[in-house]
Amino acid sequence: MARVVVDVMPKPEILDPQGKAVTGALARLGFAGMSVRQGKRFELEVEGEVTEERLAEVRRAAETLLANTVIETFDVRVEPAPASAAEDNDAEDNDAEDNDGADDNAAEESTADENEAESAEEAELTAQAG
Amino acid sequence: MSPKIGVVTFPGSLDDQDAVRAIRLCGGEPVSLWHGSDDLDGVDAVILPGGFSYGDYLRCGAISRFAPVMAEVIKSADAGMPVLGICNGFQILCEAHLLPGALIRNDVRVFVCKDQDLQVESADTTWTSDFTRGQMITLVLKNGEGGYVADEDTLRRLEDEGRVIFRYVNGNPNGSFHDIAGICNERGNVVGLMPHPEHNVDRLTGPTQDGRAFFSSVFDFLTAKV
Repeated sequence: MARVVVDVMPKPEILDPQGKAVTGALARLGFAGMSVRQGKRFELEVEGEVTEERLAEVRRAAETLLANTVIETFDVRVEPAPASAAEDNDAEDNDAEDNDGADDNAAEESTADENEAESAEEAELTAQAG
Repeated sequence: MSPKIGVVTFPGSLDDQDAVRAIRLCGGEPVSLWHGSDDLDGVDAVILPGGFSYGDYLRCGAISRFAPVMAEVIKSADAGMPVLGICNGFQILCEAHLLPGALIRNDVRVFVCKDQDLQVESADTTWTSDFTRGQMITLVLKNGEGGYVADEDTLRRLEDEGRVIFRYVNGNPNGSFHDIAGICNERGNVVGLMPHPEHNVDRLTGPTQDGRAFFSSVFDFLTAKV
């Protein structure tokens, strides 16, 4: 999995009322000399290797949906992978001591099933909505 | 037989029932259409109503524009079917590129809700033939993102081709370029505007009945075609 970031900004010639409001608020708070334009940042977790073709596909997605090129510009870039979080293996060590660990695992498993059921339901809802 | 006018309901549509009621009051047969359907149920024209479809997520109209029903709406519009986009419907038509330009947040940065004076700039569309050019009308306007923007070339083309059909008068409520309140496509069958004709069809609930002419215009067109 690689992270591709799409930044979307209002075009310079297009009025940015949100940025203007933020600029005004900053000035009122004493942050002088700061002019803000507000955009959007999309983080895409992309499966597989990020090839030129894949990036071209992301650009197509940005042009199709993420940005409205009538009023916005977009920029696509690959973000370096974050340091992977240390994996938590403590639960396995406890198994040998008593049965609680096994019970915990069972509980975890049923939660996982529930989550799966929930996300399946969600997917169905999305399909209906979409 | 009265003309069948479809009204699309998206998740978050707000004024679909008002549009249905207005069609009925004005003598048409309203047909409710669901955004997830890929069939227009044989309607003669389509209205995309006001509201906050898909919660205005991403951009107003950006997600609705890809709803299954929109593929049919776009195909039919390209074939000449009358399509009217009101408020959020106008935003959807712009996102779908059936109309040029885009709607951005009001320059006044607040939601505007008022009886808006408008000048009719063109009666040469399917939805405005019962008006006369230069006529002054009043329609309810209520939106947070009604600022019409387009590049200079597009604006010039719209003006030169007479495709600006309504202009705000007595003050521009939202920063729209050229005071534009509504536009149409080249053929004049697709019209989008921010004010709400469907809220102006009876004395009880609207400041005027100026919205009725939209419906009588399209009924005339459809009857003449048959």
